[in-house]
Amino acid sequence: MLGRDVAMAELYVKPGNKERGWNDPPQFSYGLQIQCGGPKRPPLSRRVPSPADGAPQAPTPANSAPPAVPAALASKPVGPPPLAVVSPALRPDAAKQVASLAEECEVKVEDVLTPLNETLSMCRNTVQKQVCDDISRRLAVFRELWLQGKLSAPVRKRMNILVQELQRRHWDVADEIHRALMVDHVNEVSQWMVGIKRLIAEARNLPPGDLVANDEQGAGAQPAEEAL
Amino acid sequence: MATYLEFIQQNEERDGVRFSWNVWPSSRLEATRMVVPLACLLTPLKERLDLPPVQYEPVLCSRQTCKAVLNPLCQVDYRAKLWACNFCFQRNQFPPAYAGISEINQPAELMPQFSTIEYIVQRGSPTPLIFLYVVDTCLEEEDLQALKESLQMSLSLLPPEALVGLITFGRMVQVHELSCEGISKSYVFRGTKDLTAKQIQDMLGLTRPVLPVQQGRPLQPQEQPPISSRFLQPVHKIDMNLTDLLGELQRDPWPVTQGKRPLRSTGVALSIAVGLLEGTFPNTGARVMLFTGGPPTQGPGMVVGDELKTPIRSWHDIEKDNARFMKKATKHYEILANRTAANGHCIDIYACALDQTGLLEMKCCANLTGGHMVMGDSFNTSLFKQTFQRVFSKDFSGEFRMAFGATLEVKTSRELKISGAIGPCVSLNAKGPCVSENELGIGGTCQWKICSLDPSSTLAIYFEVVNQHNAPIPQGGRGAVQFVTQYQHSCTQRRIRVTTIARNWADAQSQLQHIEAAFDQEAAAVLMARLGVYRAESEEGPDVLRWLDRQLIRLCQKFGQYNKDDPNSFRLSDSFSLYPQFMFHLRRSPFLQVFNNSPDESSYYRHHFARQDLTQSLIMIQPILYSYSFSGPPEPVLLDSSSILADRILLMDTFFQIVIYLGETIAQWQKAGYQDMPEYENFKHLLQAPLDDAQEILQTRFPMPRYINTEHGGSQARFLLSKVNPSQTHNNLYAWGQESGSPILTDDVSLQVFMDHLKKLAVSSAS
Repeated sequence: MLGRDVAMAELYVKPGNKERGWNDPPQFSYGLQIQCGGPKRPPLSRRVPSPADGAPQAPTPANSAPPAVPAALASKPVGPPPLAVVSPALRPDAAKQVASLAEECEVKVEDVLTPLNETLSMCRNTVQKQVCDDISRRLAVFRELWLQGKLSAPVRKRMNILVQELQRRHWDVADEIHRALMVDHVNEVSQWMVGIKRLIAEARNLPPGDLVANDEQGAGAQPAEEAL
Repeated sequence: MATYLEFIQQNEERDGVRFSWNVWPSSRLEATRMVVPLACLLTPLKERLDLPPVQYEPVLCSRQTCKAVLNPLCQVDYRAKLWACNFCFQRNQFPPAYAGISEINQPAELMPQFSTIEYIVQRGSPTPLIFLYVVDTCLEEEDLQALKESLQMSLSLLPPEALVGLITFGRMVQVHELSCEGISKSYVFRGTKDLTAKQIQDMLGLTRPVLPVQQGRPLQPQEQPPISSRFLQPVHKIDMNLTDLLGELQRDPWPVTQGKRPLRSTGVALSIAVGLLEGTFPNTGARVMLFTGGPPTQGPGMVVGDELKTPIRSWHDIEKDNARFMKKATKHYEILANRTAANGHCIDIYACALDQTGLLEMKCCANLTGGHMVMGDSFNTSLFKQTFQRVFSKDFSGEFRMAFGATLEVKTSRELKISGAIGPCVSLNAKGPCVSENELGIGGTCQWKICSLDPSSTLAIYFEVVNQHNAPIPQGGRGAVQFVTQYQHSCTQRRIRVTTIARNWADAQSQLQHIEAAFDQEAAAVLMARLGVYRAESEEGPDVLRWLDRQLIRLCQKFGQYNKDDPNSFRLSDSFSLYPQFMFHLRRSPFLQVFNNSPDESSYYRHHFARQDLTQSLIMIQPILYSYSFSGPPEPVLLDSSSILADRILLMDTFFQIVIYLGETIAQWQKAGYQDMPEYENFKHLLQAPLDDAQEILQTRFPMPRYINTEHGGSQARFLLSKVNPSQTHNNLYAWGQESGSPILTDDVSLQVFMDHLKKLAVSSAS
């Protein structure tokens, strides 16, 4: 279901907060967390039975410990690791590359804000004034923070994608991006994102006639994922 | 079915059930001689992708004392449209809707592959889920900020229709009115005075004037919004205001002088939360989520005074009967927990602080209601943040992995009775013909309430064989058990999951080898461990250890092969071969040993042990150890000091910790930077492999474990060294020679010594 969403989500692992938490585990991005649904490999849950008498066998099982290593141990400093071919079992490809989205984001604030404001004004006919004012206030905060350079590139970039999805009326996708941003960048977005969240929810509820399609891809182009 | 191992695995996957014995001894006397009781681990809501629920009501046996659900084990007369209950043998007419059934047109519940089936039933109108946040404001600025952000974030993860409420506490307790207007209002309570549910409801204005009941209908919860709406509002309506309210939360304003703890009214805050839900939404799925950063220090439920010079109770204090507040506080929280359970709600505790926070006294709140217990150092850690996120995780079909207000009923065929259950549940005191007088765990009932559960929640259920000795093997040759779990699904539907299983009876005198071969040693170890931990909560530690030892010796006497008084002749068959080492590691585990753990930590570990499924429980008893080296693919190795070799990387999973340990040579290579040289790319991959595997565990585990990256000689290597069997110690180091593992500085008994003693005792003609 989430193929497309994941493609648009950030996939990263960042270290935990070692200063505050003793042996704090790493933090996974929202995209990685929802992706991990199906186990890709058998879980590590096998055990070796102890030998019947409880005593460990000679600690060199048939296929382990190349003879060169103990020798190297005896005479420090140790020799280099073996230059063998990579054991396929070690699955080098599995190494998740922490592709950061740090690349500069060229989007202008008005490109993002204008469609949001347009959607808001479409809501004004049916939605309570106070709710619209609240959303409007949060859009202003968003604009302010953007202009002050307080929003990181990934947030700006993904807000841009969110708005595009909103324009295409892909409500679920837009909502999912909002959720990913809340989880991954809560300290940057918590103040104003709830306004975007509400806007998505209100726009979704608008009678179809009220929502003027902004582009050709309109309602007909719902992605398959939304059918879930 | 090729082997019992496959049979056991298939049954677990299909029915979420693991029995200690899969062929049952046919008489009471023989069953008691099996040492390990006939019992099972049941995961009532085990995730089943291939189990679409059916949209009709289950068909029940018409006998009032039975009411078993129609299942594939029932005999059916398709022509007469009759079915015979396999539990009480009552003959029942099919309901009219089943008129069209025949051998080739069976309803799902009669097909053998539907030994587990789920029904969606329409009872009343659906009610939204409820989440009531109870937030400690006596936190450091950084922690409070992080917590506020996590709570704001959670509003995006909650179902939009869910009702949400907020109570904050410090010296005072504030119940926040949530409204869409700009003005925020709250009701303030003193944190020192306990209030009855009635008083709380009066003060919050929750008592409604008595209305004439319309047309004799019972009031549905939704008809009450006017009452509760001030404190519990749908997320989609108040998300913006609540985000602001949370954002504006300040630290408790009361000054805390030097040498004092902040005054924290946890006991009253919880009491108000429980009372609020009790008065507004009884018997509707609701979570009270307590976030606290320190111990309760005033009012009912206080665990320690506010003088910092008096430390919070330790195991030593408890042993010396020197824990002043413990009994009274425990009592307070037990009363709250029982009320919560009676209302069908649950309490989660998220405790983040470096010192203890009173989990020992508060544990019943989570344990009796199926709530979560999470222990971290700070709210500003990935451990807390991600664990909290995972509370709201969804399954493959996009539904929340949480269910509420479940009742589990167990029905048995006549030769069996139910002794009790151990898990996150309370008794519903339902007596009946299948309830045994011999209690194990929470007994005296055939029904339990599980206020909150998820797809991994697992109960241990203990049985008693009551068939008399020398009586023939019961009719049909099989015994049956039915588990009926009624619950509120996270999508607010009422559902009923029914699992019906049967196992063969065997005469233990003539067919012992059948019973023996069908022994599930993994399930048995976990079931015995749950009993042990359950006893440890009430008795002293050493008694439990002695009891476990005695059981193990008896089991070895019964099932070992040996010549009298000849320990060297002792052998165990494959189906028992791992059992002694499970018991060895269990004896050393933090579930039974309190040394080196605070009372809070023990409570925390035991809380998780009493609810996880078999695989996770077994990891807790005997951690998993994998080795990564140049000599082949990653392989499991003995949890033994001999496995700690210089040219290996070890990955250990203890459930609560993931440890990666670089052997001495590996660590030196890493320091020398070989991983950065292109020609040693294989070394880089070797270093990466355990990290990737660890990551996979970290991505799914709940709660998030601690993550330790260490190496030979590192101070944190102690996590590994304290878990492995100390086969080499400073005492016998030279007997094993050099380079053969890593000696452990300990006087603990090793598995070898343990096994030697066990064999001696098992074969001794004296015992």
